Amino acid sequence: MSERLPDDARRAAESIGQAGLVIGIPSYNNERTIGHVVRAANAGLAKYFPQLAGVVINSDGGSTDNTRDAVLSARVEDGHLMLLSTPMGVAHRLSFPYHGIPGKGSAFRLIFQMAAALGAKACAVIDSDLRSITPEWIELLLRPILLAGFDFVAPYYHRHKYDGTITNSIVYPLTRSLYGLRVRQPIGGEFGVSARLVTRYLERDDWDTDVGRYGIDIWMTTIAIAEGFRVCQSFLGAKLHDAKDPGSDLSAMLHQVVGSVFMLMREYESVWTPLSGSREAALFGFRFDVGLDPVEVNVERMVAAFHRGCQELGEVWAVALQPTTYAQVRQLGESTADDLRAFHMQDELWARIILDFACAYKKHPVYSGHLMQSLTPLYLARVASFVLETRTLSSTDVESKIEQLCLKFEELKPYLLNQWVGDPVGKLDGWPAAEGAEREREMKLEV
Amino acid sequence: MVETMQKVLEGVLERLSKYVTIYLPSLLAALILFLAAVVTAALARWLLYRIFKGPTIDRFLRRSGVAFMLDPTGRLRATRLVAEGVYWCLLLAGFLLGLSVFDTDITTQAIQKLVFLMPKIVVAGLILLAGVALGQYLGRGMLVWAVNEDFPFPRRLATLVRIVIMFVAVVVAADQLEFARDVFLAAFIILVGGGVLTVSLAVGLGAGGGFRRYFEEKKQKSEETNERSLWNHL
Repeated sequence: MSERLPDDARRAAESIGQAGLVIGIPSYNNERTIGHVVRAANAGLAKYFPQLAGVVINSDGGSTDNTRDAVLSARVEDGHLMLLSTPMGVAHRLSFPYHGIPGKGSAFRLIFQMAAALGAKACAVIDSDLRSITPEWIELLLRPILLAGFDFVAPYYHRHKYDGTITNSIVYPLTRSLYGLRVRQPIGGEFGVSARLVTRYLERDDWDTDVGRYGIDIWMTTIAIAEGFRVCQSFLGAKLHDAKDPGSDLSAMLHQVVGSVFMLMREYESVWTPLSGSREAALFGFRFDVGLDPVEVNVERMVAAFHRGCQELGEVWAVALQPTTYAQVRQLGESTADDLRAFHMQDELWARIILDFACAYKKHPVYSGHLMQSLTPLYLARVASFVLETRTLSSTDVESKIEQLCLKFEELKPYLLNQWVGDPVGKLDGWPAAEGAEREREMKLEV
Repeated sequence: MVETMQKVLEGVLERLSKYVTIYLPSLLAALILFLAAVVTAALARWLLYRIFKGPTIDRFLRRSGVAFMLDPTGRLRATRLVAEGVYWCLLLAGFLLGLSVFDTDITTQAIQKLVFLMPKIVVAGLILLAGVALGQYLGRGMLVWAVNEDFPFPRRLATLVRIVIMFVAVVVAADQLEFARDVFLAAFIILVGGGVLTVSLAVGLGAGGGFRRYFEEKKQKSEETNERSLWNHL
């Protein structure tokens, strides 16, 4: 374990001694919702795991509201739960401020440290802003570990078609095509983790990178898949939650999540390069349809951000993108300047953009931060295109669209491999040869 | 009269032949040396272009950001860098060797000065290079940030950052070379001081309202569109 527990957490662990299960809840100013989440966690432990001692740990990032008080005062009446067995005891509720860089990952680190210190058989982490969590979530996240020998349980939700756009447009297709396993919500936020995998996470020394922030979810999922841990999914129903930190900035969030994917691509190069295609991950839970919160999207503003990127970020995109991809991006920017309805970014172009950025991230480590931040307008363009394309489609049809994108990523894996190992990318799949576009790019390059 | 003219002409011719006798061999020798240096430099460059197919060095240049700094497309090749560097070093060496053939006070002094200045020139060059690198890095950072934040005139802001950093590098390099030290320093102080004063006055007196309006409009726009939910749902 690279870092020792803070004193208050260590003392609490010593006084509790041992616990079979740990539920971790990271928080930052979640006074409004965290009480419900803690109650659901407690009820889940009491109802589904009465034979195991449970601890609910809130790892707080220095909330300025009453988040920690809400955790410690949350109560659930056993009589209302219709318990079949009497629990061994009331689950402990703890709340600590975490140390280290501010972010979700640092909060998780403290939770995992506590789980290890308490000798927990399994640990689940859940977001503190959830409104749709029920006690069943705890069962669904932990039972596959305790009874079926899985090490990592990823969530599987129904989400609004415009919700989870980073997941749908980048992280899911890319992770699936790289590691060959279809984990639908790799950055869902709620996970079940075995003791073995908790130990592995704590052994690692990259907690102070983007992993300490929003990169934590994909970091956990990728390690579990790439290092051969047993991975499954549990259907949790709908994910409804409060808006997160109002100050959170898309560019930084995108940078942290996607940067973590790219960072892990380097580390697990030997794992993903020989793989092709993908297979389903086991799915637990009874699937049912649910109502979802609408998500507001301002397409015009996103397209405007893309056009602005086209005008201003040529010098950065020219480095990040292959000449052919860059030429296509510019063409998209020029051809749709006046007509929003005609705006459409093809799956193939989007997949190539992401794969080019992955290679550029590897090739230009000094400038990787700038490159990643410059992805924002392109990402907005993709989201805008997706929204326009799926405006009238049902959730099932939208899921088919996402499946098509995933297949495109899988199809383009040889393209990624060619670039990744350093070979020049020539004519591929009907795209113009790189040389001509290179000349075109040099002519258009604005420095 | 004719006799006098004849004498003058003879004197001129005599002096000319004397100069030619004294300097022509040296000049020829210097030319030969310089030409030899040109040939050697060209040969070295040709050889290096063929020998130095260094993917490792190319990778190092790319990863260290040097390639990106010197060539905005990031496609600078180490072969070219090394070959051109060696070419110009050999040319300079040939030129100095050629000058040394004359063995006069002026040439000796010039060579001495150049030789003594060389380490300073190298250091000043490195300072300028570092300035370019830092300017590119921070300028690019400013550009991307300004675009993502929807800030007005992102490219001008980036250029301003680059210019300021480059100017600082030039001042430091000039100080290193002891070249017009006071002039550069004074110019730097005037520019930075003037800039700060201008911005302060602009924000304080004239542009304050404009800035306030800009930020208020931005906030209002963000609230109206209620887009946060999209950002917050990964």
